[in-house]
Amino acid sequence: MTPKNNILIGVIIGLIVITSYNIDANPLDFVDGFSNLGIILEEILVLENIIDNTKYVPSALLAMFETLQMAFIGTVVGVVIGMPFSMLAARNLNSKFVYAPIRTLLAIVRTFPSILWAILFVIVVGLGPFAGVLAIILYTIGFVTKLQFESIETIDSDPMDAVSSIGVSKFQLIRYVVIPEAASHLLGQMLYMFDYNVRQSAILGIVGAGGIGFFIIQYIKFFEYGKAAVYLFVVLIVVLGIEWISVKIRDKYIVKSQHGMEVTAK
Amino acid sequence: MKQIQMTQNPSFSLISTNKIIQMSDVSTSYDSRNFALEKINLSITRGTNYAIVGQSGSGKSTLLKLMNGMMIPSSGTIKIDYISPNMNNKKFKKMMHTIGYIPQSLGLVKNITVLDNILIGALPRLNKMQSFFKKFPEHEIIEARRIISLVGLTGKENRQAYMLSGGEKRRVAIARALMQKPTILLADEIVSELDHVTAKEIMNLIADAQKKMNLTAIMVHHDMKLALEYANRVAVIKEGHKILEIGVEGDTIVDFQTGDMTTEEIMGMYADDAKK
Repeated sequence: MTPKNNILIGVIIGLIVITSYNIDANPLDFVDGFSNLGIILEEILVLENIIDNTKYVPSALLAMFETLQMAFIGTVVGVVIGMPFSMLAARNLNSKFVYAPIRTLLAIVRTFPSILWAILFVIVVGLGPFAGVLAIILYTIGFVTKLQFESIETIDSDPMDAVSSIGVSKFQLIRYVVIPEAASHLLGQMLYMFDYNVRQSAILGIVGAGGIGFFIIQYIKFFEYGKAAVYLFVVLIVVLGIEWISVKIRDKYIVKSQHGMEVTAK
Repeated sequence: MKQIQMTQNPSFSLISTNKIIQMSDVSTSYDSRNFALEKINLSITRGTNYAIVGQSGSGKSTLLKLMNGMMIPSSGTIKIDYISPNMNNKKFKKMMHTIGYIPQSLGLVKNITVLDNILIGALPRLNKMQSFFKKFPEHEIIEARRIISLVGLTGKENRQAYMLSGGEKRRVAIARALMQKPTILLADEIVSELDHVTAKEIMNLIADAQKKMNLTAIMVHHDMKLALEYANRVAVIKEGHKILEIGVEGDTIVDFQTGDMTTEEIMGMYADDAKK
């Protein structure tokens, strides 16, 4: 250990202590409060309560279905609106005068987390899932465009050069070369975004933007942890299900096309 | 290797008014210090099967990119069918539709089918709505299928490009270029990575198309033997300079321009390379 490393470690430890003090983070509070977790678990895991709370499963499924719809519409609309912006933000397709302002605009959109967009849209359009959908659309545009233009910039330049040399229009180049070349990445990003938005949609209800989160926060507020657990369990199952479907789609359409680049037949 | 029979009175004309490509003192560079090509003079007659031969890094591919407007010379003038290759020139943009270009990497779109790759050659003839909805007119699809048959890919129309062998990929790249209804075909070391038999098949395919469509084919090779076998004219490029231009007619080779080395010396040099 060099003296330089000792100083560095000392500085990091010092920063941890100072920031912990500033944010009032006391490990003893955590130890003291741990027993509260036992009270919650006791309410959730008692067999009688479990049986009693199963009657909330249908309404939890219904709320989850609303959440899924919010995530689906938000993802699809966000990706569709975001796609042209991704094309305009890609450095290999545009001049600096085009991609620089578009990237700045997208960076501003991306700055706000979905929960802040949700608060804004609850004010604009009122409580309910529509505010949530609008929030997801905005967040998706900001987030997915970054993934997309970075993917577009990494595609093989040879087909683009070869097809450009024919004298095709920019639109034709995008439609017939860029999108097919980047398709597997774009599909993967869309799946990732949907997966992410399902989790986000489950939270947006906290600020009144619809979905299953609205019910979860209400039950927690009224200390009805057993009922909240039923809703959380439904979220867990659905998210795991989506993850499983995503893996299957990736294996079938994405991994295969990427591995298939090797010569397989003469 | 063909016999070198020097002749003072070639049976074909050295001067023709039917020049499709004219380069005069063309120089270009990738950076401010080193020239990729320096003071190149070329004059290619319509309908010629022209070969550009040179070792790696000699500037052969750069020369092709100057011919299709993908690169602009830093000095000198280029005329392609009497038009300056400039992307801002509307006449040249229209001409690009009929310049088939096959890069060394082939430039195929790997995730689409053979048929779709070939139809890309017809894109300049589509209107905006047809482009948007990918609605190719029936006659274009029939033409694409005719070319598929011509290049020997019948039955593989719906196979993804990434699933093809090296030889098949080259056939698709040729078919895409032919789909453009080209007047000029530029091909960059199209057979360099193929076995001898497949290379001959591909070269014969291009030679047939060149004759049938009266194309001007300009092909880059590093194999002099192959160039002499198929081309009417061969230019040898070394370190960015044209060091030799010869015409080939039957077994006769005519020296048009020799610099410091004699034709025999240059030919011998490439024959030695081929043996290695």
